[in-house]
Amino acid sequence: MIKHILSTVIVACICTLAVAQTTINGTVTDSLNQPIIGAAVVEKGASNGRITDENGAFSLPVENPKTTVLVVTYSGYKKRELAVLGKTTVKIKLSENSVGISEVMVVGYGTSTKKEFTGASSNVAGKDLEKLNIPRVDQALQGKVAGVTINTNSGSPGGGSSIRIRGLSTFGDNDPLILVDGVVYDSEGLNALNPNDIETVNVLKDATAGIYGVRAANGVILITTKQGRANTKPKIELSTYYGVQSTAKRLDLLNASEYAVLKNEMFANGNDAIPFANTALGEGTDWQDAVFQDANMQSYNVTISGGSDKTTYSIGGSYFSQDGIVGGDKANFTRMNARVNLNTEMSKRMRLSSVFLYTNEERDVLPENGIGSVLYNTINAFPTDPVQEASGQYSYLEEVSDIINPIAQMQNIYNTSFVDKFVGKEEIAFDILDNLTFTNRFNYNFALVDQKVFSPLVWYGPGKAQNTALNADLDPTQAEIAPGTTIDRGASVYEARATYSDINFESFVNHEYAFGEVHNLKTTAGISIFSRNGQGLGGTAFNIPNNSIDYADISANLAPGGFLNNTNSFQFQERLLSTFIRTQYRYSTKYNGSVILRRDGSSKFGPNSRYGLFPTVSGSWMLSEEDFFNWDRASYVKMRVSYGISGNDQIPNFAYRGLLTGEGDYVFDDIITKGAAIGRAGNPDLKWETTRQFNIGTDIKLKRGVDVTVNYFIKNTRDLLFQPEVSGVLGTAGAGSFAPIINAGDVSNKGVEIELGYVAPTRKDFNWSTSLNTTFICNKVTDVPDGVDFIPGANFGVGGNVATRFQEGYAIGYFIGYETDGIFQSQEEIDNAPVVQDGAKPGDLRFVDQNGDGVISFSDDSDQKELGNAIPTFTFGYNLNMDYKGFDFSANLYSAIGQEIIRNYERQQPYANQLGYNIDRWNGSNPTNETPRLTTDLNRNTTFSDFYVEDGSFLRLRNIQLGYTLPKNRLSRLKISSTRIYVAANNLLTITNYQGYDPDLGSFGGALSAGIDYGFYPQARTIMTGLSIKF
Amino acid sequence: MKKITIRIFAIFCLATVLFTSCEKFLDINPLYTQDAENYFETPVDYERALTGAYDLLQSSFITVWIGEIASDNSIAGGESVSDTEGLHEIDNMTHDAVNNELRNVFRWNYAGVTRVNYIMENKNKLDFEGKDQIIAQAQLLRAYYYFELVKYFGDVPLVIDQRLGADEVTEISRTPQAEVYAQIESDLTAAAAVLDWTNPVKGRLTKGVALSLHGKALLYQNKFDEAAVILDRVIDEGPYDLIPNYEDLFSVINEGHAETIFDVEYSGAEGGSYGCLICLEGNAAPGFHGIRQYNGPVYGDGNSYNMPTEKLYNSYAAGDIRRDASVLDIDAFIAAQPNSSEITYAKGGGGHSGYYNNKYIKRQGEIGLPDNDLTSPVNYKVIRFADVLLMAAEAHNRASTPNDAKALAYLKRVRDRVNMPEITSGGSQLTQDIWDERLHELACEGHRFFDLVRTGQAATEIDGFQTGKHELFPIPQVEIDLTGGSWSQNANY
Repeated sequence: MIKHILSTVIVACICTLAVAQTTINGTVTDSLNQPIIGAAVVEKGASNGRITDENGAFSLPVENPKTTVLVVTYSGYKKRELAVLGKTTVKIKLSENSVGISEVMVVGYGTSTKKEFTGASSNVAGKDLEKLNIPRVDQALQGKVAGVTINTNSGSPGGGSSIRIRGLSTFGDNDPLILVDGVVYDSEGLNALNPNDIETVNVLKDATAGIYGVRAANGVILITTKQGRANTKPKIELSTYYGVQSTAKRLDLLNASEYAVLKNEMFANGNDAIPFANTALGEGTDWQDAVFQDANMQSYNVTISGGSDKTTYSIGGSYFSQDGIVGGDKANFTRMNARVNLNTEMSKRMRLSSVFLYTNEERDVLPENGIGSVLYNTINAFPTDPVQEASGQYSYLEEVSDIINPIAQMQNIYNTSFVDKFVGKEEIAFDILDNLTFTNRFNYNFALVDQKVFSPLVWYGPGKAQNTALNADLDPTQAEIAPGTTIDRGASVYEARATYSDINFESFVNHEYAFGEVHNLKTTAGISIFSRNGQGLGGTAFNIPNNSIDYADISANLAPGGFLNNTNSFQFQERLLSTFIRTQYRYSTKYNGSVILRRDGSSKFGPNSRYGLFPTVSGSWMLSEEDFFNWDRASYVKMRVSYGISGNDQIPNFAYRGLLTGEGDYVFDDIITKGAAIGRAGNPDLKWETTRQFNIGTDIKLKRGVDVTVNYFIKNTRDLLFQPEVSGVLGTAGAGSFAPIINAGDVSNKGVEIELGYVAPTRKDFNWSTSLNTTFICNKVTDVPDGVDFIPGANFGVGGNVATRFQEGYAIGYFIGYETDGIFQSQEEIDNAPVVQDGAKPGDLRFVDQNGDGVISFSDDSDQKELGNAIPTFTFGYNLNMDYKGFDFSANLYSAIGQEIIRNYERQQPYANQLGYNIDRWNGSNPTNETPRLTTDLNRNTTFSDFYVEDGSFLRLRNIQLGYTLPKNRLSRLKISSTRIYVAANNLLTITNYQGYDPDLGSFGGALSAGIDYGFYPQARTIMTGLSIKF
Repeated sequence: MKKITIRIFAIFCLATVLFTSCEKFLDINPLYTQDAENYFETPVDYERALTGAYDLLQSSFITVWIGEIASDNSIAGGESVSDTEGLHEIDNMTHDAVNNELRNVFRWNYAGVTRVNYIMENKNKLDFEGKDQIIAQAQLLRAYYYFELVKYFGDVPLVIDQRLGADEVTEISRTPQAEVYAQIESDLTAAAAVLDWTNPVKGRLTKGVALSLHGKALLYQNKFDEAAVILDRVIDEGPYDLIPNYEDLFSVINEGHAETIFDVEYSGAEGGSYGCLICLEGNAAPGFHGIRQYNGPVYGDGNSYNMPTEKLYNSYAAGDIRRDASVLDIDAFIAAQPNSSEITYAKGGGGHSGYYNNKYIKRQGEIGLPDNDLTSPVNYKVIRFADVLLMAAEAHNRASTPNDAKALAYLKRVRDRVNMPEITSGGSQLTQDIWDERLHELACEGHRFFDLVRTGQAATEIDGFQTGKHELFPIPQVEIDLTGGSWSQNANY
């Protein structure tokens, strides 16, 4: 932007002096033949130039066209020099700076250039994200940036992701700090952002993120929204796409006949009566067929941008709506937003920049991930039961109490949330001197979140936990409000409203001082005051009339005397107070050094340790500028190194002091009576966790269009904010009470990131470019709190098999369980085995005796071992772009290798349906060593072992797209400057050995739950077509 | 240039001044909630803290499980052998120091102790009428929690009238059982001196509770003479009596009957989740004991935990109505129903004995909110009058000067109610008869294992029971580690 203004000014000055003799007319376009507006076209060696107009056209008077060389520059594109060779009309095509490396980058309270920046960062151009047609920015970023691992927490519309920059570094909150135009967003809130509004995304990965101090330990993502360009007429862009989503995969489940045969064998093996006299039941019900559906998604965007001399603007509006492949409109996500970016020169020395974003979201959700979720029910429902009985009633699936008919379930779930969000920034920059700018910035992020959950009276069958009615006639249950007095407990509605507001004031100066020809000193210093408040009020009301969503409002309730109705509320506040200074020194063009110091005070911590100091030093060396450098092929080679400390304060508020927030309720006179109890035990010495990060890297640009960036990092997180187990004697095990949060434990992440880019030279209208990024990460817990061997994580199955742990020497959340070694083939084999495995029978899994004591111990972990972890050792993203004349093609691949997934969506109940691999189970006549016998008998086959751990590696074709840009002359009469149509597919192909729906699995509940598949809502496969028109 | 420099300098000075005054900006206080250190300002604060201390009584379901499953009365049951694995290990006497359920017993009871100590630590902060009643109830609760701890674990750290910090906890060690008992007795004596026999509020602890628990604690220490005196007081002075119908003892509708001495109160009016059993206001035991996938009359469905054994079922004398009131023979029950062919249930993968706990079981009409496996309103009977009669009988029978006549009279009261013939034995035969009576009267109520251990019968009655080891449960290893690893483990674990 700055560069652009600068070039405008220069060109404007120059023009008045030019003496014209011949005029060269031309157009400047990008690689897709779209006109570039505002590009600077200058005659080389002369002081003569023009800015392209809204058609990308210019006419430049020159003295001698035969010798004229034009230099064309535009931010984000490669500078191009072109000898005119006597022609008077020219077409100039600019290619983008490879791998989205814009020259100017936002680095926090200022900008830098790729050349002089001393940190490790990655930049993604907004249009690369926009092109993917993925509704959430974070999901679109997957595979685009080395060192950033993004997994989908849920494939349902509006579902979130987990974003991990350089690995998992803490037990608690691993989310990076996300700033949109300087305004803090949480990763959940990214739903509000329309990817079409994004100009660039810059990810600060190393210690130079330390300018953000106590919140920077997990890295920082800086998102900049689109801005207008000066001196351009309004440019209108319309774009739309429509897609149809379907499930990319179905599980191989038993059909009715297979089910009957296997269940008979299972019951017979347990000496129980066989359930199916007749096993010739055909295919039966395919519950997946019944549940999965094709679902639409559609998006409409409009952007108007432009600018006058002093003012630029970009205005956007969009509508996006997506139904779910499970649940259709019961899992809909709809987003509307509006955006205004305005920059204006208030005076010669004063500039205002104003950003305003409004978003309205509506999201319907179904139960996901876990026992009771729609997909869990789908997988485990019996193929022998119909979806509906002849009477039209949904089948009850009676034999298993916690599996309900998923179709009936979807019909009876009404859970909608509504979000209105206002985000903005008002920033005034004042040039005190030419080289000293004073900036004051006010940011806000205000969200109004409403939720409505309607629970109709429903009967899923006898004994189902989800029943809200007493019986199939939907009679309400009764509640006793006083001895002997009962009232109906009918349909209920829960409504809640919460408001969250962030207010942030920042004030800083940027100073640049050059001296002695070769010295350049840039300093940024300032303060930041941040306050976050939230409050909410909610209530439940019973006896909604007619058992109908039409009356689902608290105001409509008919609860006698309002006895059952209840309310709840919450409120919180948190604050940050910060000062920071950054000094960058440049010697010649060769050496850059930078020192950052930030002091943060956070209300999360007590007076004993409220303030933290976070220093960073970094430097770079432009090897290619040295006299001795004689590698002709390289246009630049830079070495970088950085080291610094940043912090993480993401813990509950007031964790440093003990509050009476525990639950101390008891029943007196048959009424639940509220008491008081200490909630979380206080810890006055609690402080932020610190991450010390070392990074060494290099950036190389070859003249042939190759870009290489390599980084090696060591990231050690210390004083982890932990809520470890504490001695029971401290008494923190009561309801609503928690152990104190303490600082203990260390985690180390080491890794290598490589980014490669190549832009091929244009050859006969054919352009192509490609980029590849890969990340290797090694994650290890290096210390746990005293007295703690490990922190137990997530459970496997039902009943408390802990399958993941946080333990010294292992990756965060590694899987621990029994190793299997085939299957016991005979009683003789069991009797003669050197290892005693209590209760083993032929056909059972044979476990490995890890400690060699001759007995498999099921009561402790002495025979358990590491069975993998959810952290990929290696990820890569690959992008390919090609265009030829009007056609363009692009593809985007993502792969994660080396992680494991726990298959945890099989209900271990006699009647639950099973995966197809069970057909090949062990029995007397099939001596397999893979799949154990089926039996209702007591057995250990459902104990967590490597039998339930699968390789989660995958390669996915995330997006493939073919577009065509209509020849311009056909549309010029309609004042349309360009029209592009395209077809695209997301998630078309996934190569994996994983049996579940989707190996791209995030974590549903913290770092220790990663990689456990509870019947995860998969990402859809989408086939879409789109159109974009520019006026 | 100079002017501008001065201007800049001025701005910076101003910013610095503003900023320093801003540091108060971070001194914010939590809204609408009280701080643990600024509490006990009003009588209501004491009252609420006391309610918080009562809360942990609701962990009693775990004693119904372990007290039965560890004994010869029940098997663990459940969905699979890894469903609440700790119970299966206890069932098989293969439990060791890594056991979630035992750890819960340890932690929950200490949470109760800590909530009492929080009150006691602040008992002198304010004086008001009725404070003695609050303090007395608090002491009684502490005695109960420590008694549970001693029953399970023997020597346990004794922390009195103070809360420990994370650093202090590494300095404590296991206090000899006798000292813990001394504290229990002194708390109970203090409570009994203040509390009345009755309290108009259902669920409040009374003098009868303090005395009965005291008698029980004495019995566990084989102090029969003192136990006899105290238990006689409950029988003679207390307002208690046996109710006519044994079958009516455990239904919600009859709660608060004359036989009630110490009930843990539950409510079905608040939902809950498996993720936090200690957060429940309902009794988890009846739902967990419920008939798996049951679809039929009278009962609700549940998780088939804690299933009585055939041995227990067959141990009843013919005609003893307490058999069917205590143990449900599910197949016999179904066969006796008019529409028996339509009634179905499933066997759990964690073991199936064919019998269900018929005292604490989910019954239709006693069902709480969803998830109703967790929200039973059925109270747990810690001590009921029949138990006091049998404890008193045993105390008299085993006293230094035995009073078998009195013992026989108490025994007769218990047996008369269920129309069982009078017992006329004496001496050690009477002792055994009283013990057997305890088995049949109190089966499925969580007493059996501790009775067997206390009376030295465990090794003969429980398969796999090793004398010198299984009398106590192991101190959870993690609790030893978390206090610095210096505690010794119980013998032979």
